[in-house]
Amino acid sequence: MLNSIRPKKWVIALYLLFPILLYVFAVFIPLITAGFYSFFDWKGGPNKTFIGLDNYATLIKDDVFWTSFGHNIYLVFACIIGQIGLAFIIVLMINSRLVKFKAIHRTFGFFPSTISAVYIGLIWLMFYDYKRGILNWFLELIGKGDQTKVWLNEPKLVMLLIAIPLIWQFIGYYMVIIISAISSVDQEIFEVAELDGANAFQRAIYVIVPLIKNTLLVCVTLCVAGNMKAFDHIFVMTKGGPGNDSMVMALYGYKISFAQQNMGYGSAISIGIFFVSLLVIGGVQFLVKMLTKEKGEI
Amino acid sequence: MKKKLVSLLLVVVMIFSLCACGKSKETSTKKAETKAPDATTEATDDSATKTDTSASTLAYKGDLGIMHFSTSEESQGNGGSDGFRTTIASWEKKNPDISLKQTVLANADYKTQIATLAAAGDLPDVFLLQGMNTREWVKQGLVLDMTDYIAKSPYADKYDKSKFYPFTVDGKEYAIPALTGGTCTVVVYDAALWKEAGFDTFPDTWDKVKEASKYFKKKGIDTIAFGNGGKWQANSCFLSTLGDRFTGPEWFKSLVEKKGAAFTDQTFVDALKFTQDIFKSDVFNKDFNAITNEDAREYYISGDAAAFIGGNWDVSYIQATLKDKPLYNNTKFAVLPQPAGATGDTDSHNIGLGYGIAINAKLKDDPEKLAAAIDLAYTLTGPEFANYVTDKYALSSVTKVDNLDLSKFDQFTQDFYNYSYVDHKPCEIYDSLISSAVWDVLNTDLQSMLNGDISPEDVAKNAQAAYEKNY
Repeated sequence: MLNSIRPKKWVIALYLLFPILLYVFAVFIPLITAGFYSFFDWKGGPNKTFIGLDNYATLIKDDVFWTSFGHNIYLVFACIIGQIGLAFIIVLMINSRLVKFKAIHRTFGFFPSTISAVYIGLIWLMFYDYKRGILNWFLELIGKGDQTKVWLNEPKLVMLLIAIPLIWQFIGYYMVIIISAISSVDQEIFEVAELDGANAFQRAIYVIVPLIKNTLLVCVTLCVAGNMKAFDHIFVMTKGGPGNDSMVMALYGYKISFAQQNMGYGSAISIGIFFVSLLVIGGVQFLVKMLTKEKGEI
Repeated sequence: MKKKLVSLLLVVVMIFSLCACGKSKETSTKKAETKAPDATTEATDDSATKTDTSASTLAYKGDLGIMHFSTSEESQGNGGSDGFRTTIASWEKKNPDISLKQTVLANADYKTQIATLAAAGDLPDVFLLQGMNTREWVKQGLVLDMTDYIAKSPYADKYDKSKFYPFTVDGKEYAIPALTGGTCTVVVYDAALWKEAGFDTFPDTWDKVKEASKYFKKKGIDTIAFGNGGKWQANSCFLSTLGDRFTGPEWFKSLVEKKGAAFTDQTFVDALKFTQDIFKSDVFNKDFNAITNEDAREYYISGDAAAFIGGNWDVSYIQATLKDKPLYNNTKFAVLPQPAGATGDTDSHNIGLGYGIAINAKLKDDPEKLAAAIDLAYTLTGPEFANYVTDKYALSSVTKVDNLDLSKFDQFTQDFYNYSYVDHKPCEIYDSLISSAVWDVLNTDLQSMLNGDISPEDVAKNAQAAYEKNY
């Protein structure tokens, strides 16, 4: 029965051919060529010198690269808590019977994630501006004028300050995922829980979270993968500064390759980013598997 | 129903925004179109009288590629860009058999693009070579040796040979300096405000500046606006000149020619130390490390700062913006004040031509095409360009102009001309030379240093390490 409507193998292959070619062209070939170039001392131009693993030896000892890696991990944690955590809370609030105009909340919540990260960076740059920014204006307004700062020039705060736009941008994105997960659960379960006297907090922790756990874990994986490649809005807001205090891996690789024109080492950094990201995402997925297994056993 | 309403609203908003985009694009292209013919007619008038000799002597027929960054937007306020575009248009007209393929990008994009093309060994036939890339690209065999062509140039006797330094490697010249010579460090100040503070001209020592800053603080404005958010500004528009005051020009020359000078030399460390101290004092706006030079010059324009330090590109913007405002006539120019303890020249400023017209080494195999490229290079840097920018903007280029009548320009333009070319001593622009790999490391550290997070000694040490590794 199933076989009769199943297309022939070559038809399937033909359908897949174009996306696969595109993928090979846009992902595999650059990855392999970067891997190849990473073994050379190459400052651009036709002359390259084979230097074996020297670039990788430099990479392992490169403080800036590992600081940048640390910043990426910071972003991952900040965004898991900020994006998914807040999105979850907001979804619960929207789903409550007290809230009116649910569709509007959903639509406008999703808005920021449709805007280009460069614009987000520029908008928040104005927000943090020392002389004309809303943040300092507000502090003055409430009489805390002594707390005003040149926000993006604070080495200890800058990572948090650039994480906030990122969190703000993607809350809506995770909201949509979580809303669809909750609406696919039989609503009677929530009604029964409510009738049984569970309060909102208990319903969230003991009923909703276990039921949508798999979706939440997918969100975490997406969040990790997304933040390992953070680049655009940081490039606009701080260029990785002050100094290297908000440098992330992708931005560092770009800087080495294009600003410093060191293509060989830049390629080595890309490969480095590929491997540490693979490790982090792999690690998270391993954790996810462990967690979901537990549930299966119960 | 509600959903429908919302989606309808969204659709309407989208359509409107699309319309708006479409319209603005249309007008901008129109503007460009209407501007271009204007410029060409003007140029042909000029060229018909001045350089008729080179017309139609070229045997080459076909495509010739050129890449540059004089966009039509840029040419609205920038004399060099305007002259460049005009000269190209007139050359095209004189050589109808050659189809000139232009790739025009904004400067920041140009730098990335040309570096990528160089990496791929696929440079355009004619392009603008940045001084600091010369050595590396020559080593890679990408750039044609132009020494003989420069010597044989019809305008050779008019070239200002000192401008060729950034494009010279081991005695051979690889480009003809292009566009206009501009200072990278100039103090732009409001003479009326400084008079109020008790100074007839801008102070010549930093101690006096600090004294004046007390007055401006009471007034509630910044003394000097500066923006280092892009990280390069503190180097190009401050340290490059201030360093010369401490080290003298020989130190940098020795660094360029690898004759023993080092970033860790005491005089340079002293310059760094002074830079750190002066930025720590209250003289500059507090957010100098978080804003760009574009923001900082707005502080000056809006009267929130009594002075501003930037480069010639900032001055042309300030000039265009302030025109017809009272501040325009009060705006004057000064060199950086002399730091205490510095033993070098007291009135130097870093000025030069950062880019030169260079030719792809591959053209060697095609003599006719090469002749066309050389002719284009001569024209773009020759008297036609020089006369245009001098007459219209009072700017100077590599080719000297004999009779300049300054009196037809307003005071602002005259003052800036005298500041740039007459009154003060030129010194090298650091990041026109050596290598971007060195400056990128130094600039990043410099930004931290100005916050006090890293010591001048460490900045020098890191820069020296990058220098030894990359140059």
